[in-house]
Amino acid sequence: MELPGKGLLKGLGVTLKTMTRKNGVQQYPDVQPDLPARSRGVIALMEANCTVCMLCARECPDWCIYIDSHKETVEVPGAARARQKNVLDRFDIDFSLCMYCGICIEVCPFDALYWAPEFAYAEGDIRNLLHDRGRLGEHMAHVPAPDAHDPMGEPSKEESTAAKKGGAR
Amino acid sequence: MTREMTVGVGAGADHLDTTEMVLNIGPQHPSTHGVLRLKLKLDGERVTACEPVVGYMHRGAEKLFEVRDYRQILMLANRHDWLSAFCSELGVALAVERLMGIEVPERAVWLRTALAELNRVLNHLMFLGSYPLEIGAITPVFYAFREREVLQGVFEEAAGGRMHFMFNRIGGLKEEVPVGWTGRAREAIGLVRKRMPDIDKLITRNEIFLARTKGVGVLTPEKAVAYGVSGPVARASGVDFDLRRDEPYLAYGELKVPVVTRTAGDCHARFECLLEQVYVSLDLAEECLNRVDAISGPVNVRLPKVVKAPEGHTYAWTENPLGVNGYYLVSRGEKTPYRLKLRTASYSNVQALATLLEGCLVPDLVAVLGSMFFVVGDVDK
Amino acid sequence: MELPQVLGEPIRFILNWGRKYSLWVFNFGLACCAIEFIAASMGRHDFMRLGVIPFAHGPRQADLMVVSGTVTDKMAPAIKRLYDQMPEPKYVISFGACSNCGGPYWDSYSVTKGVDQLIPVDVYVPGCPPRPEALLHGILTLQEKIAAERSGFGGVRKTAAELSAPPVPPPT
Repeated sequence: MELPGKGLLKGLGVTLKTMTRKNGVQQYPDVQPDLPARSRGVIALMEANCTVCMLCARECPDWCIYIDSHKETVEVPGAARARQKNVLDRFDIDFSLCMYCGICIEVCPFDALYWAPEFAYAEGDIRNLLHDRGRLGEHMAHVPAPDAHDPMGEPSKEESTAAKKGGAR
Repeated sequence: MTREMTVGVGAGADHLDTTEMVLNIGPQHPSTHGVLRLKLKLDGERVTACEPVVGYMHRGAEKLFEVRDYRQILMLANRHDWLSAFCSELGVALAVERLMGIEVPERAVWLRTALAELNRVLNHLMFLGSYPLEIGAITPVFYAFREREVLQGVFEEAAGGRMHFMFNRIGGLKEEVPVGWTGRAREAIGLVRKRMPDIDKLITRNEIFLARTKGVGVLTPEKAVAYGVSGPVARASGVDFDLRRDEPYLAYGELKVPVVTRTAGDCHARFECLLEQVYVSLDLAEECLNRVDAISGPVNVRLPKVVKAPEGHTYAWTENPLGVNGYYLVSRGEKTPYRLKLRTASYSNVQALATLLEGCLVPDLVAVLGSMFFVVGDVDK
Repeated sequence: MELPQVLGEPIRFILNWGRKYSLWVFNFGLACCAIEFIAASMGRHDFMRLGVIPFAHGPRQADLMVVSGTVTDKMAPAIKRLYDQMPEPKYVISFGACSNCGGPYWDSYSVTKGVDQLIPVDVYVPGCPPRPEALLHGILTLQEKIAAERSGFGGVRKTAAELSAPPVPPPT
């Protein structure tokens, strides 16, 4: 005959076992979480690489990237005529709209956008969630080095470039 | 003025009648699992009629699909069934790949299968935790979320997100997994498998849980099939249908998928089905990861600059954790689909709810509602 | 009624201290962000350490409403009604992109573009969905905001317009 209350006792046994062990609480904000390199926290902009091709703004499903630019002519000594170049005036990302999909980072042909694991930028006023290019440049400090790829698969862009450079020397 | 009345035996039904009450549960209610509204007609504590009112989470996703290109659709498609986001993206990717005739590389197929099974575990863990919470047992949800955190860490390392992974692309996956990821994923699977008996011992044979769920909310297999109920809810009623075995997609054709069924069809059977399916999925995921380690190659194909699906239409269906999800894609040859219709499992599951709840007591209603395992975003899209 | 400064500062500190460390949060999960909200209340992250207690019995016993998930036009009257049922002092955290401003559904015909169109929001937490740690940071931001409140005995001053808004009829 089964002991009456056996199920309850088994459950209480599990609780007793857990009670005697250390808990797994991560005491944020005293302990910052250990985030992997690909973690999608905030988008950082490396302004030097940006050529204002507008691909990121066009591909964004939410239209949360605002880009303004103007053209400047640059005199290049020794060239037949002056060159035109795009100068970035405004690059804002509206993080209240952003759905953190990563399409902008994927389509950028010049590697100007990166993921950074920073997540603590909640604001009291929603207008402060529009990060301008200065703030996006500051996020670059938090961008981690990318993970190496699994050796059974294809190497990443960074790995193959490094291998080529190393082999060429 | 007093009136003399002789009340004999059996007069209660005529003179001491109760009136019917209309009770509205939801849309905000701790036990409705999201924003589902139930209009109940009650006779005392017994439900005489039930009308679920859906639409409180209708976001017009299918209309939005018509103005998003195929990569952006994947980003949006994982948000209707938010607990099994990877499987939802997967279905859309499969439909588009079928139309375009793209062959996905083998490594990507096995990785996708492994991640889909891990997503199934995540989904089932959520329900294994929240269903006892609705019954009143608060403890199992902490254990379930402890396991979820472990697996979400595995996903975050590969995909970058904890819930909306956005890791599928047309033709494979976004990028290769990091070095050592398969080893860490296997460790995580081992850890979860080792700790799963905790949830089992806590609740499955608990006397109070058994009293509240055994024999409650019995769904007959005929009714289940009539309403189009699928997934663990149908399999608990004895409907032996699992797309992974019957019409395999991805790498399921090469795997042996044990299908978990029960015959009782009550709430307890549905709960047991979920619990056993977690073990099955953990084993399948581990097997897929072992295969991934043996295959080398790319994980995606080189796509044209602008992805356009050729004219035509196709229907792809997948065994999502909640049931069968179908994706009907009609394309006119442009870079956005003409129509992408979703057949979602939770919609049919909630339809069966109306018949199950009739004749129930109100406390049993809570047990039945939680055991139907639906996600409101899936119902309303 | 503003308290005079010499008496007010310590009392203001104590009142704000009591308010910010005893927030009873009203479980208002709408969509995907609700799962991360539940994860934030579970063992790993545990917002109970910050004084926020989950599972309020209803809006009438709650201090804090965390709107997590998409606000649809059909659900909007219910949200306004629930907010009105909360007693003062009450705070609102908008959790996730959908409740901040519509998020991924910004061009949908049935989505309210942001819950701040219906109710006043104190803190916006960005993300889709935000990490549980981001919610903890949002709660800390809210606590800083409460600590800086200048209020008299009745709580945060509300305008006459907000107090005399007509009751919202429920959907039929």
